[in-house]
Amino acid sequence: MRIIDLEKKQGDFQMKTGSFAIEEGKIHGIIGGNGCGKTTLCKLIMGMTLPDRGRIDYEGLKPREITMTAQRPYFIRGSVYENICYPLKIRHIRPEEQKINEWLERCGLKGKKDQYARSLSSGEQQKVSMIRALIFEPKCVMIDETLSNLDPENLELFEQVIFEIQRERPITWILISHRLAHIYKMCEILHFMHQGEILASGDKEEILFRTEDERIRRFVANEVIKMEGSHAAFES
Amino acid sequence: MQVIKGFLDTFFSDVGVFDAICVTFQMAFCATAISSVLGILLGLLLERVNFVGKRLVIRVNRTLMGVPPVVVGLVVYMLVMRRGPLGSLNLLFSIKGMILAQVLIITPIICGMTYTSLVSRAGAIRAFAKTMGADAIQTQWLVVRELKNELYFAVVTGFGRSISEVGAVMLVGGNIKGHTRTMTTTISLLKSQGIFTEGLTLGVLLLLMAFVIQSLADFFQRGESSDENY
Repeated sequence: MRIIDLEKKQGDFQMKTGSFAIEEGKIHGIIGGNGCGKTTLCKLIMGMTLPDRGRIDYEGLKPREITMTAQRPYFIRGSVYENICYPLKIRHIRPEEQKINEWLERCGLKGKKDQYARSLSSGEQQKVSMIRALIFEPKCVMIDETLSNLDPENLELFEQVIFEIQRERPITWILISHRLAHIYKMCEILHFMHQGEILASGDKEEILFRTEDERIRRFVANEVIKMEGSHAAFES
Repeated sequence: MQVIKGFLDTFFSDVGVFDAICVTFQMAFCATAISSVLGILLGLLLERVNFVGKRLVIRVNRTLMGVPPVVVGLVVYMLVMRRGPLGSLNLLFSIKGMILAQVLIITPIICGMTYTSLVSRAGAIRAFAKTMGADAIQTQWLVVRELKNELYFAVVTGFGRSISEVGAVMLVGGNIKGHTRTMTTTISLLKSQGIFTEGLTLGVLLLLMAFVIQSLADFFQRGESSDENY
């Protein structure tokens, strides 16, 4: 997929991405400060909002093969099972009970199958949202902070799930997260955003540790200080 | 039916209560059904389509939500009277004419309520549908399905307005015994004859019937959403 000079104005915010590629079958990470346009970029890729200028070359990827999970996922009225089955239902695919049960069991939601989805805790909702996004085997998945409400154990579970899927049938992932450690662990390619611009795009080591750009260095330094601060607090 | 008719005829004066009940429900059900289809479709369109003067249309619709029924009755009367533009349709002093008046009263209410609930929630539902890969029809169906409680409330409000309406049906229907007389116009007639007890009893009967219908509708509605345990 190629992002070609996307421009989008929303109030005072102006996004100008320039051109860059989202390589197929790789795990991409988008990082940047709050309000830098990460979610807007995902919405543009998803087709949820239209750019003022520029275009996206999907290179054969169909809209139905892309999905996105949000930070606060929406749940249709109904049970966890009905929510998971929704993307299958609209594609006229018969749900495989065994597969759904396996997903639920793996995510610790075995007994919640018939529970009303909106009554789940936020962490459980995020897990259901992830299952729902993956159940129909899309070719591109965008995860917009969806994993941020998960505890370390469940975060690791989904990290394993992503790696497993990549081993079996590589798909394109676009992860948005404020957890630098999570992004660093997961992603192969990193895109750094600042005030609506993609400042850097490429190898994560290069961008995070060998960049000349002061804004990226400052962001990374702040994140590292935060991580060290939490570590020191834990130690004390 | 004959037993009920006989019972009502002995209990009330010779005002045709049984026929009035039949006419009331026939009119209310038909008007609500037509207005629901029109109002929900117009509400969906109003929320979905952007056009010049949309704000004005919304404002006009909100004004029409509170229009005095007697004004609508007068307008419809002028339209359907023998020398009016719709005179050839013979709608004056008929149930069809009364339904037409009621549709004009209820449709803005259902349309306005539909639009209000769509404006606040449809965006999130559409965004979700997009992320799931739903096509345009599947998305629209999901919006309606997700907002069924709000739409149900709009329809119930419309029905309540229809069943309790007196001004427009009196003007367009003419309160003809056994033909266009409704429960509310019967109450009005009984009052003018000074028979207050029967008028009040008929009022209570009307309320009871509305209560039973609403309860039945609520029962089916609750059955659909019994899993909402939050």
